[in-house]
Amino acid sequence: MLQKFEHNKTKDAIIWNDEAYSYGWLLEQIQNWKEKVEKRKIPKGAVVILEGDFSPNAVALFLCLLEHSCILVPLTSTVAAKKHTFMEIAQGEVAFSLGDRDSVKIMLLSRKADHEFYRKLRQLNHPGLVLFSSGSTGKSKAAVHDMKNLLEKFKVPRNSLRTITFLLYDHIGGVNTMLYTLSNTGCIVTVQDRNPDRVLSAVEKYRVELLPTSPTFINLILLSEAYTRYTLDSLKTVTYGTEPMAESTLKKFHKLFPKIRLLQTYGLSELGILRSKSKSSDSLWVKVGGEGFQTRIVNGILQINAKSAMLGYLNAESPFTEDGWFNTGDYVLTDGEFIKILGRQSEIINVGGEKVYPSEVESVILEMENVAEVTVYGEKNFITGNIVCANVRLFKHEDQKKFSLRLQQNCSQILENYKIPRKISIITEKLHSERFKKVRSLN
Amino acid sequence: MVDRNKIEQIIFEAIEDLNFQRPQEDQLKKSEDTVLFGYSGQLDSLGLVDLVLAVEQKITEKLDKVVTLADEKAMSQKKSPFRTVGFLAEYICQLLEEEKDG
Repeated sequence: MLQKFEHNKTKDAIIWNDEAYSYGWLLEQIQNWKEKVEKRKIPKGAVVILEGDFSPNAVALFLCLLEHSCILVPLTSTVAAKKHTFMEIAQGEVAFSLGDRDSVKIMLLSRKADHEFYRKLRQLNHPGLVLFSSGSTGKSKAAVHDMKNLLEKFKVPRNSLRTITFLLYDHIGGVNTMLYTLSNTGCIVTVQDRNPDRVLSAVEKYRVELLPTSPTFINLILLSEAYTRYTLDSLKTVTYGTEPMAESTLKKFHKLFPKIRLLQTYGLSELGILRSKSKSSDSLWVKVGGEGFQTRIVNGILQINAKSAMLGYLNAESPFTEDGWFNTGDYVLTDGEFIKILGRQSEIINVGGEKVYPSEVESVILEMENVAEVTVYGEKNFITGNIVCANVRLFKHEDQKKFSLRLQQNCSQILENYKIPRKISIITEKLHSERFKKVRSLN
Repeated sequence: MVDRNKIEQIIFEAIEDLNFQRPQEDQLKKSEDTVLFGYSGQLDSLGLVDLVLAVEQKITEKLDKVVTLADEKAMSQKKSPFRTVGFLAEYICQLLEEEKDG
């Protein structure tokens, strides 16, 4: 990767705070950090906490520490409340903390990290990466990766694109965006906060070509109408992943921007990001796999065998099947080579033995007038096991009773009876997390 | 004493709401003898869920009381409270009385 940087020294690598940083700058900075790391006697194989967001130094340090075969643990401010727990679990030995102005504070922690996966990485002299799963349902699990395996796929040259680093620095999608863009000497355009106006204004200003994001954020772009305030003609591709997409949102976006290719991505903290190809821009059918990934479907659930799979969790049992496959927990439909992701096993609502996928119901509700956001979830019920409930955020005030009736009547025209929400609440706060994923644990 | 007529009235109002969403041929009669759930009952399980939720909500609105109608206790009654409107009214009265005593 660094050789490619050498050949593109004058090209922009990073846009941060309205300033461009070239590949030449990045190379130099990686070298500077290398000297500092050696001076501080940070050994190869050390477990290093990297606390920041995409900033010039955060990128340079990430690459420098990879070169130094360290085990990286990126953390962002969205997990501030769990920071100390995560540092404990990962057994961080050194912490680099990046400030607002990209200043760096280094702390040597009095801890000796020891774990069979760490020992293995050190023996091989391979860099590592520790990623925490979101843990929205239960405790966060720490996945340990051999970075050599994860980096393998970036050796194949692909399009060099100007890309927004929307997904976070401590998320498999964010790490993937950064490595994909830099390994093809594209330019990463960073955003300080991830609201629709800020992101789209960066797209306009820096002629961004690729926006990797989440379905929730695409919906926010639509409902904030931010797209009417900026010129987005540079944007070639918008990718979405991390949660099921409402078909209505996809179609609406595609209708507004028929020239933008909409591509569904599929990846997991435990496996890395698979290569994927959507059937078309307005289709939820997608082909996933690519070099190093095999897929199979067992009892309707997608299982993946990945060369780049993590070594395992630091704080949980191995989730792999005996023959080495990973159970994704995602229910899928198949049509030839294509699959359609219905939703996570844990989010499926079982109503009297019938399965309800929240995203299907959400898609219908989102098409209703005056609906801004919706989250569908299950609630225990003595008669049918569970019932479907919906939390809805509206644009304009509406009488609760009248709205509930309107929602149920609307749903009953499209959905089977058991899929219709029985309890409907109108709420005023946002329904997504800082990671732009739906929050389904409101009750 | 809990006013049984008042409870029946609440159930009738819930039935009215339910009927609003039910096809013409499936309308529930506002009568004490209307068979709700079980043999020759007019409601399927989801219909029962709807009725129970509607009645619970109306009790909260009108009487400022929170009751749970469908639970272990309801199921362990000698006669199912969901058999007829009359049985349901009786069961609700019983629950409210117990709450008063307890």
